[in-house]
Amino acid sequence: MLQFIQFLRGYVCIRVWGYSPERFMNLCSNHDIFLWDIHNCGEYYTMCITVSGFRRLKGIVKKTGTKVAIQKRCGLPFFVPKMKRRKIFLLGLTGSLVFWMWMSTFIWAVEIEGNYSISDDVFMDFLKQNDVFVGMKRDAVNIEELEKKIRQDFGIVTWTSAKIDGTRLEIQIKENEVDTGAEEEGAAGGQEKTGNESGSDLIAEEDGQIVSMVTRAGVPQVAVGAEVKKGDVLVAGAVPVYNEDATIKGYQYYDADADIFISHPLLQTEELPLVYEKKEYTGEEKKEFFITVMGKEIFFRIGKVKYENYDIVTDKNQVKLLDNFYLPVYYGSSVNREYVLTDNIYTKDEVKKIFSEKLIKFITGLEEKGVQIIQKNVTIDKKNKKWQMRIDLQIVEQTGTSIPIVPQAEEPVPEEGTAEEEIQAAD
Amino acid sequence: MMRSRKTAGRQTGRQRLERQKEIIVESLKLPKDSMLGASIVTVTGNEEAFVENYRGILEYSPECIVLQGKTCQISISGKRMTIDYYTNEDMKISGCIECIRYH
Repeated sequence: MLQFIQFLRGYVCIRVWGYSPERFMNLCSNHDIFLWDIHNCGEYYTMCITVSGFRRLKGIVKKTGTKVAIQKRCGLPFFVPKMKRRKIFLLGLTGSLVFWMWMSTFIWAVEIEGNYSISDDVFMDFLKQNDVFVGMKRDAVNIEELEKKIRQDFGIVTWTSAKIDGTRLEIQIKENEVDTGAEEEGAAGGQEKTGNESGSDLIAEEDGQIVSMVTRAGVPQVAVGAEVKKGDVLVAGAVPVYNEDATIKGYQYYDADADIFISHPLLQTEELPLVYEKKEYTGEEKKEFFITVMGKEIFFRIGKVKYENYDIVTDKNQVKLLDNFYLPVYYGSSVNREYVLTDNIYTKDEVKKIFSEKLIKFITGLEEKGVQIIQKNVTIDKKNKKWQMRIDLQIVEQTGTSIPIVPQAEEPVPEEGTAEEEIQAAD
Repeated sequence: MMRSRKTAGRQTGRQRLERQKEIIVESLKLPKDSMLGASIVTVTGNEEAFVENYRGILEYSPECIVLQGKTCQISISGKRMTIDYYTNEDMKISGCIECIRYH
């Protein structure tokens, strides 16, 4: 703070030599002239003094028989006249300032976050249609209107937030994953119903035994406890409409929908070679620096990397102006670490550890899919110069894929129907 | 202050007067530095020293700074010593201080 005030008021660095510089200092302090940064440089002294103090030095200099010379003028009172002479520089400085201020009133980047099913291109086209583009005036962006428009035009989007951060327009959206699936299905189903009036069946994806079954739409073809094979129809989408005499009048087609869980065995084997190559770092490493300008890399290092095998760990930074103006220039450093490959043999404990990690990963993977494990049998053997893990599981999982009812399967139905109708008519 | 001027004139009985002055200052609990003209030297570590109540500098070199106090001389010796600022009231010395001596 004191330094800032001194800079504002201006000060001079002086050199004092002659008969008695100490007396000069004492007289200065007696006349309330502030001195600081006093250095003894052998034959002479250097010190800083305020501008007003310097003007009062004449008498003191005479009295003490010393000589004073200005070494440096510092502070604003000296800086401003100097700047006044450099008109072009000042013009450039103010010009660049105005330029930056003007440039910062535009949008220079549009970022979209949270879009999974809507691609960036689609979104950019949408923004262009709504007059939001890179290089537009920042004031011209109507954020509320834009958010509203996004929600209206993309049914998938359930939440949107747009904000301007510096010269960047950030749009965050959330897509509705669950409902869109249902909507699509619904839409597809609707189309099918109105289009060719053929629903869909649910068929088994795996062989197994049905454990539980809840049907929402369609006619169940199997019951709990039944053994099914892959491809068997579990729930039929064609629901028969009966006549009063219990004969089939016709069929109404629906999309079969049910929660069906089947139990079936699952066999998985994992293998591991007896030997493995292990990286052993020798401790030798070589650091290098690089600059990447427009895709061209320039390396700075002493000598060449003479290692046979080495890892490169790179730390890369992008140059940016202010907070969010990124330039196509990267810089960073990378370390080349030498290593030697050594052949190692797995010990039993290591094998057990690796396999148990694999097993846990496999099981958690299954559990994430909603699979229930009823029975688990794991064996580890050494076979054909390899370690082998056999995982025998008995699992319960949901099954059933929709397939459209094939016309061939439909054909006999209307035939039967017509036949019966004919019989009825005959009756 | 009046009394001190009078005592400065007379050499005889000076010590007696000094003693009396000290007793009065002490009994009235007045600050000693302003009443008796004692210098205050505040040393922070061995790198900084603030000196108050002094008359002036007698000698200044990077190895030794000799100050004239109101009652005695203070010599501060050390290495690479500089005066950060110097006013009528106080001064700051920085450098490697090795010894402070009153004489």
